[in-house]
Amino acid sequence: MRYFNKLFFVTLLLFILPYQSFASEVNVYTSRHYDSDEVIYEDFTNLTGIKVNIISGKGKALMERLRLEGKNSPADLFITSDAGNLWKIQKDGMFREILSEKIVKTVPDSARGPNNEWVGITKRSRVIFYNPEKVKDIEIMNITYEDLADPKWEGRLVVRSSGNIYNQSLVASLISRIGIQRTEKWAKGIVKNFARKPQGNDRSQILAVANGEADIAIANTYYIGLMLSGEKGIDQKKAAEKVSMILPGQADGGTHINISGVGILKNAPNPSNAEKLIEYLLTDKVQKYIVDNTYEYPIKSNIMPSKIIAKFGTNFKTDETYASDFGKYNSEAVRLMDRAGWR
Amino acid sequence: MFYNSLFENSLKILPIFLFLLFVTPVILILSSLFYGYSENWFHLYNYVLSEYVINSIFLIIGVSFFVVLIGVLSSWLVTYYNFAGKSFFEWALILPLAVPPYILAYTFTEIFDTYGSANILLNNIFLLDDKKVFFPNIRNIYGAIAVFSFTLYPYVYLISRMAFINQSISIIEAGRVLGLSRVGAFFKLSIPLIRPAIFAGLALVIMETLSDFGAVEHFAIATFTTGIFRTWYGMYDLNTAMQLASLLLIFVTVFLVIERLSRKKASFVSSNSLYKKYNIIKLRGFKNFFAMLFCFTPIFMGFILPITELLNWTINYKLDFFNIDFLESSFNSLLLAIIAALLCTMISFLINFSARFQGNKFLSFLSSTLMLGYAVPGLILAIGITQLLTFLDNHFEFFKFNFILTGSLIGLIIAYIIKSYALSNSTIEASFQRVSSSLDDVSKTLNISGIKLMYKIHFPLVKTGLLTSVLLVGSEVIKELPATLILRPFNFETLAVSAYNYASEERMYEAAAPSIAIVIVGLLPIIILSRMIKSSRPGEALW
Repeated sequence: MRYFNKLFFVTLLLFILPYQSFASEVNVYTSRHYDSDEVIYEDFTNLTGIKVNIISGKGKALMERLRLEGKNSPADLFITSDAGNLWKIQKDGMFREILSEKIVKTVPDSARGPNNEWVGITKRSRVIFYNPEKVKDIEIMNITYEDLADPKWEGRLVVRSSGNIYNQSLVASLISRIGIQRTEKWAKGIVKNFARKPQGNDRSQILAVANGEADIAIANTYYIGLMLSGEKGIDQKKAAEKVSMILPGQADGGTHINISGVGILKNAPNPSNAEKLIEYLLTDKVQKYIVDNTYEYPIKSNIMPSKIIAKFGTNFKTDETYASDFGKYNSEAVRLMDRAGWR
Repeated sequence: MFYNSLFENSLKILPIFLFLLFVTPVILILSSLFYGYSENWFHLYNYVLSEYVINSIFLIIGVSFFVVLIGVLSSWLVTYYNFAGKSFFEWALILPLAVPPYILAYTFTEIFDTYGSANILLNNIFLLDDKKVFFPNIRNIYGAIAVFSFTLYPYVYLISRMAFINQSISIIEAGRVLGLSRVGAFFKLSIPLIRPAIFAGLALVIMETLSDFGAVEHFAIATFTTGIFRTWYGMYDLNTAMQLASLLLIFVTVFLVIERLSRKKASFVSSNSLYKKYNIIKLRGFKNFFAMLFCFTPIFMGFILPITELLNWTINYKLDFFNIDFLESSFNSLLLAIIAALLCTMISFLINFSARFQGNKFLSFLSSTLMLGYAVPGLILAIGITQLLTFLDNHFEFFKFNFILTGSLIGLIIAYIIKSYALSNSTIEASFQRVSSSLDDVSKTLNISGIKLMYKIHFPLVKTGLLTSVLLVGSEVIKELPATLILRPFNFETLAVSAYNYASEERMYEAAAPSIAIVIVGLLPIIILSRMIKSSRPGEALW
């Protein structure tokens, strides 16, 4: 029995060990999972000696764990690829204000929390892809998001399901800009224009345009980056080359963007390390490294996006709707799409 | 004698205590029904709820039909007949267990889509321009039925095979003597006799289908579960999402109760338990070919095809996954799978034994409640478990040092037991039902009871069930994702987590390598266990 006890405690220790904290570290809960992110964290550790501990998972689930852990939570930073999530944590008062001037001055107003509770790291824009053989220049020139509900696109448009956060953010930004009623009318028009029932991911929307199933598609820019880079195989590259991309809203509100962002938690055990990591993420070197690998847009205006993306234009007007509005109107957006029959 | 009475007393108290702990997450989810109802309910009811229900029911009916067809027929074929490749099919039919439904959904899309491998291959073979599309669109409810059927039929296959192996041949022979044809004996005797087993497997399939999110989400089918997550993620309304999940649970409960009531009067136990060797009939000609084709198709669709495609991606895009990190994640996955599978099997064995032995109603009730955990969408259950663990952490400071369940491996293992208890309980329950209660009575007259009865009599008789349970729980834990994601310690990766990290961003090409690894790591135990199951017919030697 004594042996059993010893064994029990040794096992117990083994289980607990990974949890023990070290002097210089920063604990990150993240819903981004890129290999390039890991490279960045390693480089940060080499530079500063601060160990980066990671738990990655789904944004909403991590948020719930944060909430439940309360004051016991070991988390310093929360990173997510959706502004709505940042808004929710900010609203629940779980972030602390970011004080570092370096950070606050780098990030534009629209990509920060109202009291600097969080800041953006990268941007993603939601744009229109079209088949140049089927869509005339005159039809697509200066197109806005609102134009997509026009009956002339009937049976020609594809977009993924409304369960997707990118669509929810787009609709939330429209609600913020033009109000619920007009947005609902717009969504109904969009549904009428569907070439097929919403399905698949953004990449399948672009492919549907390439193979003639539809004439135009709504999708995020970095998918075309991935396809054109050849990382997805030669056939997808060929398909992507058949497709053109346009940044909508240049004539009115600007192109819709969502952000990946980060905030420091109120109960963070290592807040100064957390600030250091954010500062590091906003250095020119890291910004360039991220956008070259993920085909997103940098949050800093002095950095160029990856070459593949830059050729679609770099100096464009972006929708200045506050990213925190995406969260504020997100549930309204979901209900609105339900009502419009956008599945 | 002392140990015996100690054993019996702890049998009474310990399980109840343990179960109260384990059942808490399910109770926490159900308790959402007693909180307020938000205005989102009006919205759900007016616009989407009926669609969710109809789609879910249609999905379940389709999947049930196919899994029973594939699972029962193939297990019958490999148990009672000899045909080309039989000894391969016996274990290979389990292989799709290693492929999670959402991985198959992604793979099918990439294979059959317009620019998918299958279309490109055919276009290249026939030298067509690359516009021709050969395959129907897979991203719809029929595609989803195919995906679930080909990944989940092994549950029905395994449990009905277990029942077929342990079926007393005398009854079938009596039927044949009384003039039933072989097929007649199958439908009139074999099938009705193993009905509890078929339903046990089917219940697991239905619960897993209902709780799946990944596959239906990818196909954009509005099911009850996508509705749950839409409400949580999109409307930021976790409470309403939990209420929806509770409704799902109530639905599953009703289904299980009806099934249980319908077989209440019937006994599925052969009174003489005569396990004589059954004759294996050799199939020839057409029959041989069809039997082979019938068993090969599900293996091909559920395993060979996706694995080939995954291997193709791995080699072309992400071979560098197989490094030291891979070894570490594999070790983590295996370790957790083995511990959880053994513990879970042990617990359900003890529970079923004591329920049978003492007829403890309360315990049986707790046990059935815990089984429901399997029907809860993984992430919702994970939230329930997190609520339990964080509550314990925040209210009981176990030791002076930083002992915290959330984010520890102990917490993870508790989560796995809660999640996969249904798998081991339904297999073991089905085996116990096949043990004649007269054996217990005889044992008692011989003064064999308690631990001795369990060890000497029941253990050998339900061995097949125990092995099957270890297999099912182990493969579930290796694939398990939501609870692992939210409860794991820092910097702790399992194979499923690595696969998810890529798949969640729909970068299937990179997700291929860890997915393949799940299969490789899962393969060895599957093969070993299926050999043990094969030779586990009472009276036959292991190996």
